[in-house]
Amino acid sequence: MAEEIVLEMRSVRKEFPGVLANDDVDLDVRRGEVHALLGENGAGKSTLMNILYGLYHPDAGEILVHGKPVAFASARDAIQAGIGMVHQHFMLIPVMTVAENIVLGMEPVRDGVLLDERAAEARVRELSGRFGLVVDPASLVSAITVGQEQRVEILKALFRGADVLILDEPTAVLTPQEAHELFDIIRSLKADGKSIIFISHKLNEVLEIADRITVLRRGKKIETVPREGATEASLARAMVGREVLLRVEKTPAQPGDVLLAVEDLHVHDDRGIEKVRGVSFQVRAGEIVGIAGVDGNGQTELVDAITGLRKPTSGRIEVAGREVHQATARRMLDAGVGHIPEDRQRRGLVLEFTIAEDIALHDYAKAPNARWGWLFPTRLVGRAARLIREFDVRGGGPLTRAGGLSGGNQQKVVVAREISRDPRVLVAAQPTRGLDVGAIEYLHRRIVAERDEGRAVLLVSLELDEILSLSDRILVIYEGEIAGEHAGAASEEEIGLEMLGGKERSAA
Amino acid sequence: MTMDVNYPPETPEEAAATGTLAARIALKQRAGGVVVPVMTALLAFLIGGFVVLATGHNPLLAYRDIFNGAGLNWVFHPTTNVANTAAYNLSQTLLQTTTLILCGLAVAFAFRCGMFNIGGQGQYFIGLYVANWLGYDFAGMNPVPHILLAVGAATLAGALWAGIAGFLKATVGAHEVISTIMLNWIAIWIGEWLFGDGGPLQNAANKTVPISNDVASSAQLPVFWGQKELQGLHVGFFVALAALVVFWVILSRTTLGYEVRAVGFNPDAAAYGGINVKKNLFRAMAISGAFAGLAGALDMLGYLYHFGQSDIPVSSVGFLGIAVALLGRNTAVGTGLGALLFGALLFGTTHGLSSNVIQPELAGNLTYIIQGLIVLFVGADVLILYVWNTRRRLRPRARARAKEAAA
Amino acid sequence: MTEWAQRLENPLSARLRDPATTGYAGLVLGAFAAFLAIPPIQARTITWPIVVGIVAAVLGIWTAARGRRRLGIGAVVTGIIGIGLGILATRSGVGNLNDAFNAALIAQMFAFSTPLVFGAIGGMFSERSGVVNIGLEGMMLMGAFWGVYGADKGGSWVVGLFVGAGIGAVLALVYAYFAIHLRADQIVGGTAVNFLALGITGYFFFQLYHGNYISQGVSTIPNVRIPFIADMHFLGPAIGDLNLMIWASFVLVILSYVVVFKTPIGLRIRACGEHPRAADTVGINVYAVRYGAVVLSGILAALGGVYLSDGFGGGAFNDNMTAGRGFIALAAMIFGNWRPFGAFGAALLFGFSSALALRLQVYSASASTLFNVLPYVLTLIAVAGVIGRTVPPAADGKPYRKQ
Repeated sequence: MAEEIVLEMRSVRKEFPGVLANDDVDLDVRRGEVHALLGENGAGKSTLMNILYGLYHPDAGEILVHGKPVAFASARDAIQAGIGMVHQHFMLIPVMTVAENIVLGMEPVRDGVLLDERAAEARVRELSGRFGLVVDPASLVSAITVGQEQRVEILKALFRGADVLILDEPTAVLTPQEAHELFDIIRSLKADGKSIIFISHKLNEVLEIADRITVLRRGKKIETVPREGATEASLARAMVGREVLLRVEKTPAQPGDVLLAVEDLHVHDDRGIEKVRGVSFQVRAGEIVGIAGVDGNGQTELVDAITGLRKPTSGRIEVAGREVHQATARRMLDAGVGHIPEDRQRRGLVLEFTIAEDIALHDYAKAPNARWGWLFPTRLVGRAARLIREFDVRGGGPLTRAGGLSGGNQQKVVVAREISRDPRVLVAAQPTRGLDVGAIEYLHRRIVAERDEGRAVLLVSLELDEILSLSDRILVIYEGEIAGEHAGAASEEEIGLEMLGGKERSAA
Repeated sequence: MTMDVNYPPETPEEAAATGTLAARIALKQRAGGVVVPVMTALLAFLIGGFVVLATGHNPLLAYRDIFNGAGLNWVFHPTTNVANTAAYNLSQTLLQTTTLILCGLAVAFAFRCGMFNIGGQGQYFIGLYVANWLGYDFAGMNPVPHILLAVGAATLAGALWAGIAGFLKATVGAHEVISTIMLNWIAIWIGEWLFGDGGPLQNAANKTVPISNDVASSAQLPVFWGQKELQGLHVGFFVALAALVVFWVILSRTTLGYEVRAVGFNPDAAAYGGINVKKNLFRAMAISGAFAGLAGALDMLGYLYHFGQSDIPVSSVGFLGIAVALLGRNTAVGTGLGALLFGALLFGTTHGLSSNVIQPELAGNLTYIIQGLIVLFVGADVLILYVWNTRRRLRPRARARAKEAAA
Repeated sequence: MTEWAQRLENPLSARLRDPATTGYAGLVLGAFAAFLAIPPIQARTITWPIVVGIVAAVLGIWTAARGRRRLGIGAVVTGIIGIGLGILATRSGVGNLNDAFNAALIAQMFAFSTPLVFGAIGGMFSERSGVVNIGLEGMMLMGAFWGVYGADKGGSWVVGLFVGAGIGAVLALVYAYFAIHLRADQIVGGTAVNFLALGITGYFFFQLYHGNYISQGVSTIPNVRIPFIADMHFLGPAIGDLNLMIWASFVLVILSYVVVFKTPIGLRIRACGEHPRAADTVGINVYAVRYGAVVLSGILAALGGVYLSDGFGGGAFNDNMTAGRGFIALAAMIFGNWRPFGAFGAALLFGFSSALALRLQVYSASASTLFNVLPYVLTLIAVAGVIGRTVPPAADGKPYRKQ
């Protein structure tokens, strides 16, 4: 079936200081196809698409739209050429309405200068109905759900006459049900003759929705294959370049005493909304309990409460059998809770501090690091040197600025600090976010090793693969409550269903 | 396999644009070292020179006269005899430097904790008022306890005045820039009221002039260089130097300093580490205000001895402290040197000049222009980026040369 | 259901049920309690002020109990202060009261508040686009000096307005370059602008005029005398003969409301201030919008300064003439929650307190001096969030980087 090629990228090259993000990449997109762009973190997918959308300028190569070469000076040019992009982090303005967000930059005008709000709303309703993107034009973006926000983003692109729609990791923020609804929308867009470029790292989704798949690895295009004949294994091999071990090897757990007990916990977020609604569970020594859930269902607040960063409104938290009253971060740390935070650069490390100072972040005020408020820097340095050796941190010594290390090594510093305090309970929140495969493998092995040392490990992650691979027991959190518990073998579908409350069936 | 969009690694521009204020300034310090502040000052002086030239005066002569007026030519012929003009001028410059060191430290300390204390002027005034009040009211006391009482209370008052802003920031998150600006003006008007007609601190002997009482002789600081009657340099100078050391010690050798720096660089990580962020925001502002209050006390007891309604609008040391701290990159040594530079400018432009070169009023305003330019350039890191990029371009060349040499 | 959803569903009844309504009512009544005792109502017994003040306090307590603690406490405090002021007013002589509070006070209020209005609206544009402008004080000062200079050398106040506005624009352009292109810290940059303005105006004031007042008879901005109203008993002294710029400020407020909230360019400005990357991705040139907004803020602040010297000041300039008015304008903008009418109301309030401070000389010089702190104290209270949260634009103060 010969189809018209609407878009072509030839030999595109883009370099940043120290990184060759796109190395001679080719891509072509046909009318009415869903073309998936698959690759690991850092493979260059987003960079390539940002070039296509006019946000970056390529160092070399050309872009052709309907066979004609184009050069985009900005997003505006790309939009005019019929390319629309839905970013992973939404570009919506919370204090404005849906309609205002959609028409921004192309506002309908009446009487020469005034904004025509009614016309805007009417147009939005029209587009909305045509493609099944249900959303209320007059509501504020701050009041709608994440799934609805994504629809607004798609409407934004359609409003500007996009023929090619780039979706950057669109299902990252959706429940499986919402993801299926999105796929329905994509199919209806396809039927209308639009082309979709679907960026993802999720193999199962790509195999479901894409017509053709292009795999990128470390900036290079590896292959472009049609969906027929591609398998998860073949794609994974192309993405990583070797056989991928999708599961970590571990011996069965031998759980001991209960080291962490959470009873009927209720936690509110900063806006006063109750995010954790009566959660109870236990974690024993020598086991890894994984909490699975879509982002925004209360995991963050749960972790905050357990690590003392947020006060629960009611409920008990017991560490090693003793309740911790009025928990602050300090008290939880002293009670024996270690915390690998979900955002190491924001929460875990002070990047401007030296490794020695960062390692002392919990203990700087205690002997032998300090006495009566007086600090002894040499002792900090000594301890740091030992831990750097023990945890194989590369890229510098105790006096190196933490910000100068790579992501994986920064995380090693955090892990070293937490583990060296010999915590009873280790709470790991998104521990491998933003890391390359090597660092991820190291961390996974480390977490299992700590479990074998007799610690109670609570793993909170948005990556279902990680949870499935590491956990001995899995809890599913949905809208602030534990929706399900699984020990031993658990299927991804069961857990996926619970992640949305088990109320709706996923569309086939 | 993760979800993050992988933005390209940070260039120094990006690093400078994000991150907390303290982090950015620290980055600038690492990037530029000592070269950049010097270049910044030179560039500002250069542009100031053009302004002078454009309005028909000779900039070189003007700067030379300012240099002499500040007494910096004393280094060529050192003497302790204050009858010598250069020596006298230098003593006066160091007098200003004393105040500026402390006002600079006030701003610098707050910056280290990630906060912008523009309220140095108000905190200085509050210290001034308290020192004047206690200096006059307890006339019969012995000198040492009297001085300690006045200085201590003034320092505490400055700390509390800044503490209001710190408290508001810690509890309700009110931006300290707005609150300190407001507090500045409140302090100014309090002063106008205190020393004005019928005000509580107005001169008891002469009720017609809006000036305060004189500080009692028991509270006046001993002068070690020059005569008290001719405004000599008082021992407060050493207190200021000691303050520089105290500043450094607190930040690098105490747990308080560790906490302040952590909060300044990354409040989220600090909280995660168990540090009480709010307590530290308040503490840092309070300590910051203490430095400024101390400046006010030393000035009042050291050489001013009284203060009037008309003196209030003219005083600008609190604001100069901002330029001093920024130029000195919030370090102890930098602040000290910056204070010397601005002290020289301040005195040299207002007292040392002969009108046929450039009138003092013009020169005084020239100080403001230079100060503004320095603050502008420091804020923009223009020179930092220039130096950083030059270094980066030179490094591969250096490596290539090294390789050649080794081959 | 969220607050917003409630409001959208049933606007009027939601508003009435909202504790914020009773809270604000309490605040207004508290102020009214004091107002009762002064001319023109001039109640001479203390009963009414006390009654009204108590009602205000009760409303405040009810508001606090319904969840809006800060607002409720604010209303209670206002009620108490209102009673206090009412007592003071009833105890003072009728003559003094009439001297202090007469219709001319209103005219003076407008006169004092006009520079603030210009500054606050200018600041609002800048901050709505995402650039904090602490340098309003400096831009106003530049306008004040160069405006009179222009009026002097150019022979007409119109020239003065143009020159002042032009110089304000130039200074703002310099600031915009540092803040937007070089992504300098905006507070530091604004502070630098203030120093520069102080130095430049002082320098050239001395260089060109030797520190004396500008030559006699320089063209000043005229008043607008409304023939019919000017002869009326109360309205006459109040609004019958106000300066042109005062009327211009009213127009400015209305115009700026329309522009910011009802036009496409206003939507784009707000987008740049809330989420610049979102604006960028729909093709808006964030840099251009911010530059425009900052330059506009400079022009407006400078115009306020020209009024200060060439209108209000009668053609005179002295060193550091603005004396912090730029900061009060900033405060008015914050107090008004970055909205034109709010800023206008705040500027009127601050202008009123300055005018009143002058009048209170009739009682005692020191009381009047202390009254001058009112704008600053009120702003402190505002940022402390006593009267609801002040919500700046989300990206205010953060430099934007295109990648």
